[in-house]
Amino acid sequence: MFGKFAWAAALTGLMLRAALAGVSAPTDNPAAPVTQAAPAVTQHDIIPIVERRCTVCHGARQREAELDLRTRAAMLRGGKSGPAIMPGKPDDSLVIQKLRAGEMPPLKRIVEVSIKPIEPAEVELLARWIALGAPEVEIEPDVASSDPDPLVSDQDRTFWAFHPLPTSEQIRIPSANSDRVRNPIDAFLLERLEAKGLTLAPEADRQTLIRRASFDLTGLPPEPAELQAFLVDSDPRAYETLIDRLLASPRYGERWARHWLDLAGYADSEGKREQDLLRPAAYRYRDYVIRSFNADKPYDRFLLEQIAGDELADYEHASEITEEIYDNLVATGFLRMAPDPTWFSLTNFLPDRMEVIADEIDVLGSGVMGLTMKCARCHNHKYDPIPQRDYYRLLDVFKGAFDEHDWMKSNWHETLSMGVRSDRDLPVVTTAERRAWAAHQDVVQKEIESLRAALDEAAAARAQQHQEERLAALPAVLHADLRAMLATTPDQRSAVQTYLAEKFESTLRIDRDALLKIDADFKRQSEEAAGRIAGLEASRLPEPKIRALWDRGEPSPTYVYRRGDPLSPGRLVGPGVPSVLTDGKSPFVVAHPWPGAKQTGRRLAFARWLTRPDHPLTARVMVNRLWKHHFGSGIVATLGNFGRAGANPSHPELLDWLAREFVRHGWSVKAMHRLMMTSAAYRQSSAVTPAHEELDPGNRLYSRMPLRRLDAEQLYDTLLRVSNQLDERRFGPADPVELRPDGLVTPVASATGWRRSIYLRQQRKQIATLLESFDLPQMNPNCIERRDSTVVTQALHMLNDGMVRGLAAHFAERVERDAGSDPARQVERVYLIALSRLPSDDESELGRSALARLTDAWAKQPARDPAAGQAKPDEAGHRALATFCHTVMNCAEFLYAD
Amino acid sequence: MLDACEAPSMPVPVTRRGFFDRVAGGLYGAALGYLLSRDLYGASEPLSASGPNGSADPRRGFDLLPRPPRFEPRARAVIHLFMNGGPSQMDLFDPKPMLDKHHGEQHFNRIAGEIENVKDAGALMRSPFRFAQHGKSGMWVSEAMPQLARHVDDIALIRSVYTTNLTHEPAIYLIQSGKMGPGNPTLGAWTAYGLGSENQNLPAYVVLDDPIGLPINGVENWQAGFLPPIYQGTRFRSTGSPVLNLRADAEAAPEIVELRRDLLARLDRVHRAKRPQQPNLDARIASYELAGRMQLAATDALDLSQETAATRELYGIGREPTDSYGRRCLTARRLIERGVRFVQLYINGQIWDNHTSLGSELKKACDRTDGPIAGLLQDLKQRGLLESTLVIWGGEFGRLPIAQLPADKDERKAGRDHNKNAFCTWFAGAGIRGGTTYGATDDLGLAAVENRVSVPDWHATILHLLGLHHEELFFEQQGLKERLTGVHEARVVQEILA
Repeated sequence: MFGKFAWAAALTGLMLRAALAGVSAPTDNPAAPVTQAAPAVTQHDIIPIVERRCTVCHGARQREAELDLRTRAAMLRGGKSGPAIMPGKPDDSLVIQKLRAGEMPPLKRIVEVSIKPIEPAEVELLARWIALGAPEVEIEPDVASSDPDPLVSDQDRTFWAFHPLPTSEQIRIPSANSDRVRNPIDAFLLERLEAKGLTLAPEADRQTLIRRASFDLTGLPPEPAELQAFLVDSDPRAYETLIDRLLASPRYGERWARHWLDLAGYADSEGKREQDLLRPAAYRYRDYVIRSFNADKPYDRFLLEQIAGDELADYEHASEITEEIYDNLVATGFLRMAPDPTWFSLTNFLPDRMEVIADEIDVLGSGVMGLTMKCARCHNHKYDPIPQRDYYRLLDVFKGAFDEHDWMKSNWHETLSMGVRSDRDLPVVTTAERRAWAAHQDVVQKEIESLRAALDEAAAARAQQHQEERLAALPAVLHADLRAMLATTPDQRSAVQTYLAEKFESTLRIDRDALLKIDADFKRQSEEAAGRIAGLEASRLPEPKIRALWDRGEPSPTYVYRRGDPLSPGRLVGPGVPSVLTDGKSPFVVAHPWPGAKQTGRRLAFARWLTRPDHPLTARVMVNRLWKHHFGSGIVATLGNFGRAGANPSHPELLDWLAREFVRHGWSVKAMHRLMMTSAAYRQSSAVTPAHEELDPGNRLYSRMPLRRLDAEQLYDTLLRVSNQLDERRFGPADPVELRPDGLVTPVASATGWRRSIYLRQQRKQIATLLESFDLPQMNPNCIERRDSTVVTQALHMLNDGMVRGLAAHFAERVERDAGSDPARQVERVYLIALSRLPSDDESELGRSALARLTDAWAKQPARDPAAGQAKPDEAGHRALATFCHTVMNCAEFLYAD
Repeated sequence: MLDACEAPSMPVPVTRRGFFDRVAGGLYGAALGYLLSRDLYGASEPLSASGPNGSADPRRGFDLLPRPPRFEPRARAVIHLFMNGGPSQMDLFDPKPMLDKHHGEQHFNRIAGEIENVKDAGALMRSPFRFAQHGKSGMWVSEAMPQLARHVDDIALIRSVYTTNLTHEPAIYLIQSGKMGPGNPTLGAWTAYGLGSENQNLPAYVVLDDPIGLPINGVENWQAGFLPPIYQGTRFRSTGSPVLNLRADAEAAPEIVELRRDLLARLDRVHRAKRPQQPNLDARIASYELAGRMQLAATDALDLSQETAATRELYGIGREPTDSYGRRCLTARRLIERGVRFVQLYINGQIWDNHTSLGSELKKACDRTDGPIAGLLQDLKQRGLLESTLVIWGGEFGRLPIAQLPADKDERKAGRDHNKNAFCTWFAGAGIRGGTTYGATDDLGLAAVENRVSVPDWHATILHLLGLHHEELFFEQQGLKERLTGVHEARVVQEILA
């Protein structure tokens, strides 16, 4: 009837092409081995079809009708109704009958499990395969072998970033005569500077150095006492001691974890959907990162845990979950941070899942490997020697955990989610925490039970009392018989007792409802108990869980998706790493992590390869990132792209030397901070001279330190710190933010102020306005490098936002507490706290006169309390000081560090 | 003329007169003038210094100064009437007699994969609205939009747009930003990046959202993504402070504000004097200046009392149900007049998402918007602004030819479910061949089959009208060139252009 409707042709035509493309997939790639006698249709044409249409209900996790369709053997075994296929007889095969009848997949239920109906062309392909006898061919997955790689040449491997890290002996440290050299960093830099006729800039003064180092390492300015102590410290190693002290501060981890969370794309919510569901367990990963930086966890170990922590120890059979096992698992949250809408059935289809996987691979590629791996998802990389094959080999490394055909929903929402519940949050925390949780639950349970028991007891007693009273009202002659009746169960009663029961039992037996009606005291007692029980119920804690990534075993096979389209599967690939980063001859060796493990061990093998001491990229990418955070720009300016389209290193030998030192120091990040920060280069002044403008305008030679704007967190934390409102409690669930109707998102204060910004909830659609204005990034999926913008919303926020103004008032109170009412001392104190220095005489004079004029102006204003009439002089003074403090919070020197 | 992305690093010349227009009343005239010809953004030197061919990043910094387009533009400004929710094409612009003929016939098994709520799927459903041809062009419009029907000769209708996902969030991300997820610059942000603005006291890209609430995807609808944040859409509110934090909740007396401003200037002057050659500091000072000027400019632009009663009446202001949308339409015209490049209008409450009671709900949505939009077209035309302004109407997808039934299966309350394979959109104004109907769907209106227009095609066409080329407008990020149309092939729909 609708034969002439062209839409049907348009739609199915598209699908058909995709399906038919699948038929010829294994042979149309010139690099694929061609087997001459290969049947027209093999299991590799069929597996992708059943995986995307059937196995969600007839596969690894669900066995509807006891049927598993993942392999030929399982199809032959069949389910409740017998074998699914009869080789050679498609028309007699149950699976074909069900499919042709349109019974499978059941169309009214496909959305619940996020699949699309099977296409007629796919059914016919399956029928053809069965008709041919359901042939299986042995195709070895395409993996690296000892044969030369046809797609990546040795010439490709000569590019600097793909070349293994040289040994220390192979790196020449320039000899420099300059007395400015404090360590080899300076020698490397001076060689280039002197060639241009420049040298390192003069050393910055001490107050600049402590402010710079404090912001760099802890994200906060020095306290006045710390500042004053450093300024008078005559020890020649005072500066080195300062660096050590800052590195030992617990605030160090809170600062440097933030850099890593940018790279990982940390967020406390799923994103992508209107209901931006929270991830209540994500904070544990944030805490893990903070603790790891504070403990100076070796970087190779840090990566190993984050990429393959679940394969480091057998947590499922461990008698005790130790801190270490817990850390291993929490660390894998690294690859669970991408925006993820797959908790919802309508955004959990195959392409949605592939997006999530692609984002995670992008986090790993751009953040850790310095490679734009994502470009090879749909085609061979345009600039770098990364064939599309290598992208899918890498996906196969992760297949045990990221299997698009065996997917775990990202979250669960009681009313919105559909289908089968799956939980990405693993109920594995340290045995100590679990015991503490269980003990807490136990205490709550016991208290509830004891309250209930007490109430029952009281009820019985009161009921008894009422019964006695009622009994007393009846003739005494009956008492004995009535008591006997009440003590006897109905089926044991004599005829007389039954008669008495009919007559008197309803009066004498007082149940709970009746008691509540007649006994006001008991009613009160009962309500009080109910209230306490409700309170106790509310104090039950949810089961502690972590957001983790783990290998589930039995991954589905991985096929190259041509043009990135899961409907166009190509050749079968096995696990592997980008060939250009290997010698091109050594196979990628995978072993189960321990005997009998269901885990594939692929990610562990990958992580061990990634953390080899001579890996071309791992150490280089990380030291470059550390360098960027200290010196303002990377030696390789494109932090996330060390490939040919990225920037060339400005100082390649320095980069290699730093990377080698990093490995030599046991991948210690703190050793790198010490090395970089104790160089003369780091201690340079930030003043720009005409010579700089002429010879090194972009500061690529590091001829001075950059003048740097505080980033969002430094600014927010500093505002709290100077105003004495910083609540330094650490770790734990994220602090809430509040969305005002006008769009302002503002942090909710605790009783003791506000905690540092790293503890603030990072809900993707509700980022605190202040942080967002100052370039806190959206994580889509991560942030490789923050930008540093100057936009009018920043000025507007700092001038007019209520929280900032409130903090200015607190700042003024702090100054008054420290300095009393003397304007000169107040100005001095403001400078010390906010700008880490004393005012010059001119500045002091400017401050005092401003305070005087502001006090006059405020004195003319109505008082806060209108009943008091004109403002009192001290109130005007206080408000003037608050205005002064607010203005200093808005001045450039507050926002920029030299 | 050079493409926006290959512009020389030379500053755009500022005329003497333009200079004084812009800095009038400013404390930092010299600094500001310097900046307006240089940059208002970040570091003076881009960090990613070399691209694939060793080419330097084409821009030294980022600003909102007017930039020359790639070629002669047809449109100077855009008003985007975003109809979030998915307006029903076969009930508004795409009549389907075959639906009348086959009304009530089952069709589910043939299209199950194209339905979002499979459990509610009903039979084929005819439109409850009558269609008629209008204007000289004879364009078909349903009775639900009587006011717009009077302007069909000014609009070009595309009936064959299609998208790739049938769920709101991904489909909205795609139509706004060319990609199906968050984090990418929207059309308005790309436009601001490509062309800057004619008015430096207002944002280049203004969003007029519904005071009752945000559309689906919220503020992500106007994000700058990986572009610098000056290109992000700025929400203007019709009540209270027009821009967030433009004024304090409790503003101090003018005398104190003045003292504070003076003190800040002095403190910054001391700081600045010791740090020559630091353009970031100038940029920051200028941003504080702009804060002051924007307060005046935004307040003025939003003051609809400056309009005549007749004009307000034209937009349906002062009566229901058109008052709210009418105000936004009139504000849009006032912003365009002041040189704002891209104005985007939103409606809260998913009024076009008619899963139930199509007959009454779609009519309500039309009643809220039809008059104001017709008024906007008429007003733009009579003021000569339509020649240089592109007006765009459309949502993120269309709707299905079958009924979607409520839980009680009452057909009288039937609606229509989402449809990614066909929807309608129209353009009016600059460069548009009025009266055009382009593209066609199948007999049931399920899928675009003739002259199909993809979302990237739609984007390319809009950029083209603005004098930009979708392949040449890019932003370099970590060595990669990112575009609105991404890696997709896109074509300009020449057939609707004048």
